[in-house]
Amino acid sequence: MKKIVGIDLGTTNSEVAVMEAGKPVVIKSSEGNAYFPSVVAFTKDGEKLVGDSAKRQAVVNPEGTVMRIKRKMGTKDKIKLHGKIYTPEQISAFILQKIKTDAEEYLGEKIDEAVITVPAYFDDDQRQATKTAGEIAGFKVRRIINEPTAAALAYGLDKKGEHKIAVFDLGGGTFDITLMEVGGGVFEVLSTNGDTHLGGSDMDQILVDYIADDFKKKHGVDLRKDLKTLQRLIEAAENAKIELSSTLKTTINLPYITVIENQPKHLEIELTRSLLERLINPIVEKTVKPCQQALKDAKLKPEDLDHIVLVGGPTRMQIVQKKVEEIFRKKAEHGVDPMECVAVGAAIQAGILSGEVEKDIVLLDVTPLTLSVETLGGVSTELIGRNTTIPTKKSKIFSTAADNQLSVEINVLQGERPMAADNKSLGRFHLDGILPAPRGIPQIEVTFDIDVNGIINVSAKDLGTGKEQSIRITGSTKLSDDEITRMKKEAETHAEEDRKRKEKVEIRNNGDTLAHSIEKTLNEIKDKISEDEKQNIENALKELRQALAGDDVDEIKKKTDELSEILQKVSTDLYQKAAQKASSSQQASGSSAEPQDDSWSGHPSDDDKTIDADYKVKDEDKNKTDNKKKQDKK
Amino acid sequence: MTAKKITEKKKEPHDKNIVSFKKEIERLKQELNEKNDKLLRSYADLQNYQKRIEKEIACKEEETRKKYLLEIIDLYELLKKAYENNNPKDGIQAILQNIQHLLEIEQVSVIDCLGKSFDHYCHYAISTIEKNDCKDGQIVDEIKKGYMIGSKILRPSQVVVAKNKNINKKEGE
Repeated sequence: MKKIVGIDLGTTNSEVAVMEAGKPVVIKSSEGNAYFPSVVAFTKDGEKLVGDSAKRQAVVNPEGTVMRIKRKMGTKDKIKLHGKIYTPEQISAFILQKIKTDAEEYLGEKIDEAVITVPAYFDDDQRQATKTAGEIAGFKVRRIINEPTAAALAYGLDKKGEHKIAVFDLGGGTFDITLMEVGGGVFEVLSTNGDTHLGGSDMDQILVDYIADDFKKKHGVDLRKDLKTLQRLIEAAENAKIELSSTLKTTINLPYITVIENQPKHLEIELTRSLLERLINPIVEKTVKPCQQALKDAKLKPEDLDHIVLVGGPTRMQIVQKKVEEIFRKKAEHGVDPMECVAVGAAIQAGILSGEVEKDIVLLDVTPLTLSVETLGGVSTELIGRNTTIPTKKSKIFSTAADNQLSVEINVLQGERPMAADNKSLGRFHLDGILPAPRGIPQIEVTFDIDVNGIINVSAKDLGTGKEQSIRITGSTKLSDDEITRMKKEAETHAEEDRKRKEKVEIRNNGDTLAHSIEKTLNEIKDKISEDEKQNIENALKELRQALAGDDVDEIKKKTDELSEILQKVSTDLYQKAAQKASSSQQASGSSAEPQDDSWSGHPSDDDKTIDADYKVKDEDKNKTDNKKKQDKK
Repeated sequence: MTAKKITEKKKEPHDKNIVSFKKEIERLKQELNEKNDKLLRSYADLQNYQKRIEKEIACKEEETRKKYLLEIIDLYELLKKAYENNNPKDGIQAILQNIQHLLEIEQVSVIDCLGKSFDHYCHYAISTIEKNDCKDGQIVDEIKKGYMIGSKILRPSQVVVAKNKNINKKEGE
């Protein structure tokens, strides 16, 4: 599929995004930034610079540098740079060319189609000029769309039926408010308004002035007079402003900011959010009038609007959000970076045009909750995690929990809780006819296959006999949103106790496995160990069995540890003896290692663990599933 | 090709042909379904892969953050000790050496700019100043030091650049 990029061609900065596997991705410039300064320059030697490098040399070469060319789009103005004449379209084309080259570099393929955004108030000439700029840059401009439309697309507001949207765009230097109506995927601008000289940089300036004035009052020195200190001040003010978006208080600390009468002076000032809000309130207040005018022009009341979308960095500030809420009496949409949402929306529009955003392809569902099977001790063992895109298929190999177990039960579960009983059972079935074998030996492959409609096929196959059983579960992904939220919330609130419960089961399972394997091997090694050692093991084993019969988990853990300690000592001795023997006789010591290891690692399963499923033993009247053990074999 | 075959054979519409066409259609339908399913599955695989990579990147970022935070914490502890010391000069020198060593390991180097000609690649001009005893475009002041990582810019030097009117005039003439 041919990729089409979405470009937010901005006054100060431009951005570009593209759809990848149905997801918008913001492309970085070759300098590693998510934005491209909209600056073009020609040096005295005739070298063309675009973006960061052009911005860095602007003050040295003002006669060769153009900024904010967007404001000239669609006019007959000419730009003279070192004697050469350019049209605004040509200058914009240089920016777009740089974006094109960097996007191609980033994506590793040729890009020659684009969707470009323009302000809603752009007239036909301005739109045509933007399109021409794109064409000069070598793009086939598939569409010119309005910036507020792109922002709304980024929030998927084209899909929510007929409604009215306000897009509040407060950038670094401009403010735009656009009221739109959307229906059937078509956006219609009802009114626009704004202020071409209002934005975040005004806020920074106010903050810098406040700090400098404060310092001057205390020390009699104006920090703005010295470029070095001013530069530090500007950076610190900007950082403080960003920090105060998430905290209530911050301290600006600039050591050695200046020297007064040979004494180094440090700047330290505490700023609170409320102070910042008081300082910038006059700027925020200036957004009110344009909004009211826009409402008036569209003949709308604030209540008529269904959605509010915020665009631009300064809208991250709470005071701005509060003001917007005050004006429109509604909370704004959240979730997309306000700095990126125009480019992201343009990329979505591009995706629709390229066919990438097609109903059947991109809108693939995800599993709302984790799908698992019940294993030993009532534990939920995950097969397919939450939020996995479907269709998908996963397999895992399980084994039996008891010797000579002839049947296993597969209990299919849905939910985030670690214990099976707390999750929703979607269905269960038995796989019979397993050949009698010691526990842990049979290999049962359980496969979950979810098709595009969310229908789950669960199958269990005895890899030894080839016997297979399966069920089909329909409607599992069609849980209501409420139900999903409830289940997720429950998992969160119970996380700690669930973890403890699972830990308890694991302790019990570990103890049980250990006891079981000792019972098996003790007979084999009894001739190789001393009577004392044998007695020790038997005693510890008995105690562990007793503990397992009870409910005291700490006791089980203690007894398990005691037994393993004894065993470790015994087995170390045993292996040492064997090694001595081997070195003298070179005889291979036929260990009774699990024969299944090789075949398991060679299996196409995506997981190399084997887990005992909580297979209820039919032929054995062992009703305490707790006594079975979960076993992970690496 | 198949379409061509079909039109050719349509000229002689025998029942036998119809049956075989129907079979062919069934086969193609099934093949299409299978292909479609495969396409959707590889698409879903790609999306799941994306999710996994995102998780991995987040993990990596956290690891990197931890690594550098621990370095900063070490330096913080040392600076605190130096602060409590009455004669901290030697200690601070050692701390500075530590930091320098860390920067060296990471191949961080200072951009040397004073007296050099302005280069938009590694310098950021904050201001200009008229100076007729300097070459035009010469850096006369450094506002903030710039750094490189290997051959890449970590941060450009913020500089003040000389404007020499005499030279400009000469050039203009």
